[in-house]
Amino acid sequence: MNDKTQNRLLQWAALFLFLQSIILTLAPAVRERSWDVDYRLSHWAGFLAWAVLVALANHAAIKYLPERDPYIFPAAALLSGWGLLTIWRLDENFGLRQTAWLGISVMVFILALHFNRHFSLLRRYKYLILSGGLLITALTLIFGTNPLGIGPRLWLGCCGVYFQPSEPLKILLVIYLAAYLADRANIRLISLPLLIPTLLVTGLALLLLLVQRDLGTASIFITIFTIMIFIATGRRRVIFSAIVVLSCALLVGYFMIDIIQVRVMGWLSPWEDPTGNSYQIVQSLLAVANGGTIGRGIGIGSPLLVPVAISDFIYAAIAEETGLFGILGLIALIWLILARGLITSLRAADRFKRYLAAGVVTYLGIQSLLIIGGNIRLLPLTGVTLPFVSYGGSSLLTSYFAMFLLLTISNTEDEEPAELRDPKPYSLLAGGLALGFATCALTTAWWAIIRAPDLLTRTDNPRRAIADRFVERGELVDTNNQPINITQGKSGSFLRSYLYPDLASVIGYTHPVYGQAGLEASLDNYLRGLQGNPTSLILWNQLLYGTPPAGLDVRLSLNLTLQAQADQLLGEHRGAIILLNAETGEVLVMASHPTYDPNNLDTEGDALARDANAPLLNRATQGLYPIGTSLLPLLRAKFGENQPSEMQLEEFYKELGLFEALPISTTTAFETETVNMQDLRASPLHVVTAAAALSHHGVLPSPRLATAVNTPEQGWVVLPALGQPREVLNAQSADEAALSFLQQGKPYWSHVGQASHDSARITWLVAGTLPNWRGTPLTLVVSLEENNPSLVRSIGASFLDFVLNQ
Amino acid sequence: MSGSIVLALRLLTALALYGFLGWVLYYLYREVQRQSFTLANRRVPGISLMVRHGSGAPALKYFSQPEITLGRDPGCDIPLMDDTVSARHAQLVYHHGQWWLEDLGSTNGTILNDSLITMPTVITSGDEIKCGSARLGISLSENVIIEPTQRLEKRQP
Repeated sequence: MNDKTQNRLLQWAALFLFLQSIILTLAPAVRERSWDVDYRLSHWAGFLAWAVLVALANHAAIKYLPERDPYIFPAAALLSGWGLLTIWRLDENFGLRQTAWLGISVMVFILALHFNRHFSLLRRYKYLILSGGLLITALTLIFGTNPLGIGPRLWLGCCGVYFQPSEPLKILLVIYLAAYLADRANIRLISLPLLIPTLLVTGLALLLLLVQRDLGTASIFITIFTIMIFIATGRRRVIFSAIVVLSCALLVGYFMIDIIQVRVMGWLSPWEDPTGNSYQIVQSLLAVANGGTIGRGIGIGSPLLVPVAISDFIYAAIAEETGLFGILGLIALIWLILARGLITSLRAADRFKRYLAAGVVTYLGIQSLLIIGGNIRLLPLTGVTLPFVSYGGSSLLTSYFAMFLLLTISNTEDEEPAELRDPKPYSLLAGGLALGFATCALTTAWWAIIRAPDLLTRTDNPRRAIADRFVERGELVDTNNQPINITQGKSGSFLRSYLYPDLASVIGYTHPVYGQAGLEASLDNYLRGLQGNPTSLILWNQLLYGTPPAGLDVRLSLNLTLQAQADQLLGEHRGAIILLNAETGEVLVMASHPTYDPNNLDTEGDALARDANAPLLNRATQGLYPIGTSLLPLLRAKFGENQPSEMQLEEFYKELGLFEALPISTTTAFETETVNMQDLRASPLHVVTAAAALSHHGVLPSPRLATAVNTPEQGWVVLPALGQPREVLNAQSADEAALSFLQQGKPYWSHVGQASHDSARITWLVAGTLPNWRGTPLTLVVSLEENNPSLVRSIGASFLDFVLNQ
Repeated sequence: MSGSIVLALRLLTALALYGFLGWVLYYLYREVQRQSFTLANRRVPGISLMVRHGSGAPALKYFSQPEITLGRDPGCDIPLMDDTVSARHAQLVYHHGQWWLEDLGSTNGTILNDSLITMPTVITSGDEIKCGSARLGISLSENVIIEPTQRLEKRQP
C-alpha cells in the first residue's frame, strides 16, 4: 500500500515535469511567434537525470524503509525536480551544476539509507557531529569566499566548486539538540543543563550575525533552538524570550550592519528607492505581478530580470512562470512535507527521534517561510535558500539529508509512540507554520492579482521594453501616410527606426533605457495595441504570450513636405515654427530646433540629456517664452486703439487659454505663476492657437496632432478632437484687425513682436491667411531665441510663400 | 498557433500538479478509512477467570471488555466479599496486545504466582492471582483481531 502510494505520486510528479520540459522546449517559438526558432533542448538532460536519480532513490527507500511515510519522498522529489527545471530555464550552466548536485545528494541519500541501522550513532556521537560542523563553519571565517566575488563570504570552495557549511550546520545542530534534550528527562527552564546549549546557540548566532553579516542564518538558528526547547519543555515563555532575542538581533543588526539596514529599509518602504536599495524586492514583486493567475508559462516570462533568480528569488521566478496556481501547488507541497514530518514526529518511538523529526520540520519550515516571505515583502529579505528548490549544492544536500532523517524516523513498525506529556507545542507549531504559509499564499495572491495592474504599468517594469522587441509597434505616419517612425526587424529583435529625425523633439522616441518621450509616449496605448484593439484580442494575447497584440498605426496631421521646408528655414537657429489649420486646429508643421537624431540614442542619450541647448525639449509645446507684443493683432481686434487695463488683459488672455494646458495629445507648458501681464509667458503652440482666431473669424480652434488610427476591424478610424472650438472675438472685428496687418502684395497678414525675459531676447512672428482667403485658413508662428526681426520676417515670408503656392 | 498549443500544455501542467495533490488527498482519505477500520475491528481477546473464594464453589467468569476491576466494592467487575481484600484491589487491563495485572494500592497486595507484584505485569493462561484469600485462575482465549487491510483488499475486485 505504501509503495503503491509512493509510486503513483512519483508518476504524477514525472508527468508534471515532463509537461514543463515540453513547454520549455517550445517557449522560444511562443516568444517569437514563429516555428523557425532555436528550440531549447538542453534541459532534457536535467529531466532525464532527475527521472533516473529519483527512480534509484525510490528503489532504495522502498528496499530499506518498508514502513516509511509515502508522501514525503514524492513531494520532495517533485520540488527538487521543479527547482532543477527552473534553474535550467534561468541559466544552463547552473542547471548542469544543480543536476550534478542532485546526483550527489541522491547518492548520499542512498548511502545513508544503506547504513540506516546505525541510526543511533547520531545520538551517541552528538558532540563529535556538532564540533565537526562548527569546525568547518569556523573555517569559513578564515578561508571563506563568495562565488560571486561580492557579499557575505559564507562559502568554502576551490576549483569552481563551492560549499556553504552553514547549511549542513543547521541539520547538525538539530541532531545535537535532539540528542541532548532526549538525554535529559525533566528539563527546567532555568537550570545548568539548558545553559550550555543556550550559550552555544546564542554565541553561534551572534558570530554569524556580526562576522558573517548573515541575519537569515542567525535567525534560523535561534528559531530552531527555541522551538526545540519549547517542544521539550512545553513552556511558552521560551517563545516570548526568543521573540525578544530575535528583535534584539534585528535591532543590533540594523544599527551595526549596513546590509541589514538596507534590507530593512527596502522592506519597509520599497517604493522610495526602486532602482537602488529596494531594486531586488521591487523586481521580485513585478515578477510575481507579471505571473498573475496562471503564469506566463515556463520559458515565456522574464524572471531573469530579478537579481539572483536561481537561488534567493527562485520563488519569484516560479511565480512569474506558473502564476498563482503554481505557487499554491508549491506551498501545498512544502506544507505536505512539513505536516507529514510532524505526524512522523508524533509517532516516533523514542524521544530522540521525536525531537529530531520536529527539529527537521522546524528547519525546513522556517527557512521556507523566511525566503518566501522575503520574496513577497512579507518579511525583510534574508539571503537563505528555498529547501529542495533553490540552486545550491549545500542546500540541496542538506534538504535531502533532512528528508532521509524524516523517512527513517517514520519507518516504525507497530511500535507504540513515545509518551507525550504536553500536546500544546505541537498544535502551536503546526498552527504557526500553517498560518505562515497561508499568509504567504494570500500575500502572493495580493501582488499577483489585486496589485498587478498598478505594478505592471510602472515605468521601471522592464517587461514593457522586452515586449517591444517581440511585438511590432504601430507606425506613425503623416497626413499623406508617409511613414515617420516605423518598427523594423523580426520578432525578437524589433527596432524602432526614425525616418524623419528632425521631428525627434516633437514626436519623441521609445527606448529600452531612456523610456519614451513626445507622441511616442502620449500615443503609446495605440502604438502598443492596448487601445483600439478589441478587448478579447488583448486578453487573448496576454494569455498566450504575456504581451499586447500588434500595435496600431496612427496618422498625424503633420505634412512632411511642409515640415521639411520649415526645418530647412529654421536651420541652426534655436526656436520653433508651427503651422496650424485655423479651422480644424490640425497642426501641419511643428518644428523645434535644435533637434537630435533618435536613431543614435544608444550612444548619445546621456550627452543629449546634459546638453545646454536642451535638444530633447519640444520648444513648440514646452518652450515657455515671454509673449511680449506678439499678440498685438488680437489686442487690436478686442480693444481697438484703447489701452486695456491689467485686469482686462488678464481676462482676455484667460479666454485665449494661455493659462491652461491645451487639449492636444502631447504635454504643453503654460504659465503657472502670477505675473505682470507684460511678463506673461506662453508656448508657441498657445500663441499660434490664439492667433488662429484672426484667420477664422474670431473662432479659436482646438489644436490636434493625432487624426486617425488604423484598426484591424474598421480600417482608419478618425480620432475625435480632444477639445471644442470656441468664439473669443467678434467675427467682424477679427476680420478687420487681420486686414489691418495686411502685408503689401501678399495674401496674408503678419506681425513681428519682440519680448525679453531676464537677459533672453525673443523674436516672434505671427501670421495668417486673410478672412477672404479661399483655401484652407492657416496660421503661422515663428519664435526665435534671438533678437532678429529681419530673420524672422524672411523665414515667415519664404515659408508662407512656399505653403500658399503649394 | 504555438501560443495555443503551449497554453493547452500549461493547463495540463497545472492539472498534473493538482493531480499530484489530489491523489495525496485521496490517499490520506484512504488512510483515515483504514485506520478507522483497524480500530473498529480491534477485538479484545476474551478472558476467563476461575474464581475460588472462601469455601464457596469455584465460579467461572468470562469477560470481553478491556478493563476488569477486582475488589470488595460491589461495583467491581469481580466482587470479592472478603475482609482481606481492599475496596478496589487490582485490575486486569488489555493493551499492547496483552493482558496486564496492576495492583491498585491494596492493603495486602496482589500476588501473581506466589510473588508480590509492584508494577503492571503481563499475565498468561495458567497464571494464578491471589488477592487476600481469594484466588483466580486465568485462561485466555485465542486472539481474534480481524486484519482490516485484508478485509479492504478482499472487497476490491
